[in-house]
Amino acid sequence: MRRTLRTRITTRVVALSVTGSLLLATALVLLIVAVAGQRDASRTAFRSQEALTAGSQLEKSLITIENGLRGYVASGRERFLAPATQALDSYRAELRELTTLLSDDPGQQRRAERIGDRIEDYVSLWARPLIALARDRPPAARSVVVTNGGRERLGAIRADFARLFARERAVARAREARAEQRSSLAIAFGVGGLGLVFVVAVGVVLYLRRAIVRPVVTVAQAAGRLADGELSARVPVKRDDEIGALARGFNAMANSLERGQAELQRSHAELERSNSELEQFASVTSHDLQAPLSTISMYAELLERRHGAELDGGTSLIDGIRGATQQARTLIRDLLEYSRAGRGRLRPEPVSAETVVKQAMEAVAGDIEKTGARVTVGSLPVVQAERSNLCRVFQNLVGNAVKFTDERPPEVDIGAERDGRTWRFWVSDNGIGMDPQHAERVFEPFQRLHGEEDYAGTGIGLAVCARIIEQHGGQIWVDTTPGEGSVFVFTLPADDA
Amino acid sequence: MMRRSLRSIASALVAVLAAGALGACDSGESGATRDAEGSGPPVRLGTKDFTEQFVLGELYSQALRAEGFRVDLKRDVGSSEITHEALESGALDVYPEYVGVLLSEIANRRERPPSPAAAYRAAKAFEERRGFTLLSMTPFSNSNALAVKRSFARRHGLRTIADLGGLPGTVEIGAAPEFRTRFEGLVGLTDRYGLDNLEVKPLAIGKQYAALEEGEVDIATVFTTDGQLAERSYVLLEDSRGLFASQRVAPVISRRVLRARGGRLTATIDAVSRRLTTGAMREMNAAVDEDGQSPSSVADAFLRAERLK
Repeated sequence: MRRTLRTRITTRVVALSVTGSLLLATALVLLIVAVAGQRDASRTAFRSQEALTAGSQLEKSLITIENGLRGYVASGRERFLAPATQALDSYRAELRELTTLLSDDPGQQRRAERIGDRIEDYVSLWARPLIALARDRPPAARSVVVTNGGRERLGAIRADFARLFARERAVARAREARAEQRSSLAIAFGVGGLGLVFVVAVGVVLYLRRAIVRPVVTVAQAAGRLADGELSARVPVKRDDEIGALARGFNAMANSLERGQAELQRSHAELERSNSELEQFASVTSHDLQAPLSTISMYAELLERRHGAELDGGTSLIDGIRGATQQARTLIRDLLEYSRAGRGRLRPEPVSAETVVKQAMEAVAGDIEKTGARVTVGSLPVVQAERSNLCRVFQNLVGNAVKFTDERPPEVDIGAERDGRTWRFWVSDNGIGMDPQHAERVFEPFQRLHGEEDYAGTGIGLAVCARIIEQHGGQIWVDTTPGEGSVFVFTLPADDA
Repeated sequence: MMRRSLRSIASALVAVLAAGALGACDSGESGATRDAEGSGPPVRLGTKDFTEQFVLGELYSQALRAEGFRVDLKRDVGSSEITHEALESGALDVYPEYVGVLLSEIANRRERPPSPAAAYRAAKAFEERRGFTLLSMTPFSNSNALAVKRSFARRHGLRTIADLGGLPGTVEIGAAPEFRTRFEGLVGLTDRYGLDNLEVKPLAIGKQYAALEEGEVDIATVFTTDGQLAERSYVLLEDSRGLFASQRVAPVISRRVLRARGGRLTATIDAVSRRLTTGAMREMNAAVDEDGQSPSSVADAFLRAERLK
């Protein structure tokens, strides 16, 4: 599998890149070779040109010698000889220069050598002897000069020069032509190579589009559908390469997601079912338990009424029955309330919290009056809530606030303030407070911090509050200090948020 | 004269230095002898500018090469004047020269020696004073001569050179350019025969016969060994007053080279010279001029026939 991953798209892309690079490199190398060849050729051509110049100079020197010689022989004047003497001093260096500049073509070197020999012969067998003869016996020299021996030698040398020059030009031309040809060939190669590279590049792009981009887009679209909840979204697996692996991986992920989702739904349904069964059980049980308790209470009443006189001091037993029955009924009522609180569908409406608080205060007016509590209410907003439930929350919180007090007269403050996208409500008191480590526990059902003999109640009130607030999408907590009081805080989503 | 003797001193100095360089430990003589064959600088053998000289050059150089010498043959150097100058300047080591020409034109002697042997002795003495010497001379003599067409001789009754004085008007002599200034030339003709009606028409040597045939000239200077003379259509004018000297050939050689190369060089060249009779020479010249053979093949055939190669 790993090997396959490495060998498909990667290999092809690498192979295509390498091919393109090689083509480009070949084109470049050919260009470099051509440019170098052309440079060499032009250098050689330049050298050839210099050789031609040197050769012409040498030829000119020889002519100078011959003419000077003739002038001297004819006139006997040394000044005619001066340029010839100078040329006689310089011709060897000129010959050497010519030989070095000439192309290393063996034929050319041979020709130059022959020219050198002929020049040496001309100088040693003609020019110098003639000068000597002219000094000693001018008439003899004059008669010799007309034999044209020097001109014949010079003619032969010049013919050799002509051949040498022609050959040198031909060599230079041939080299230039070859370089020219090579350079046009290389340019053709270069242009062709670049074209080929372009074609390969286009091919790579098309290949990448077909082999990578489109399949990836398909997978991305499928992933989008999956994200939108279409769990049956799958991509076709057509190939055995990296893209195939991606498609397979995506499908496996989608399968697993679908399986997980089904599992979740199943367990959710299970949970809901058992939950509702439980609630039904609680409601049925508490409802059904009320009837026997009423019966027991009624019988205890009847017992007292009919046989109260007969029971000597037995009335206290009946009172015990009545009290326990009452307590059981309270428990069952609260249990029923808790089981109902926060259940069912929420039907929120714009509710004025001030109105609701007033309503709640009326409900606990007895307690307030009894304890002589002072309740202050700040300005409260209108929120989206279920009126009765919200009223229950305030009723419970205010009820607790006036209940859990010490000797001091209770002071309760109700208020609200905006906190971002929520309203934060508080109900503070100056009551007994509690240990902060119990601050979480008080929101659990039937959790009591105090004995029933100290403070009445079943301990369901705050649990009910918590369920209602949570159902409304808020949170509830308490900030408290033992002996100083508590601040119950809950949040509700702002109406306009 | 002063300059010349200075030059010979200089060339002697050069020779001494060269010998020293060649064999620092050996004595000059033995070091040079060991050098004789093959190694060392080649023998530079010059020839003058006409057929017989070309043949002579091939004869000597081929014989020397057969003996293992390296030879640099410089053909067609020019007339005696220029060739001898080349020899003196050190550009040549040896060249075959006509003894009479040497005396009259190089040594500038006007008197005619009584015999070829006397001429040879005089020429040799002359050369030896200048750092050169003569090797043995050939049996053949290639004297200068004046030739006219047989018909022309008959028409004007020409027999001797002196008869030319009786010709009407100016007479054109086809000759090598140097003829004008040579004693064995116009100078001697005027001097010995009192001829003043002659004018030289300069011709390259070898072209005289053609010039005679075409009527360009009436008289031409020729060599007695010319192959063309075998045809007998020409008459050689008799040199009754002995203007044209006997012209046997003797190679002029630098004494320095002779010393360095030893006796084998002399022996080889002399062996060739000894066999060159007038007949042999005329035949070889005719083979080149008439039959169009090359001097080198003619020389090769001769040397093989004479077992010198």
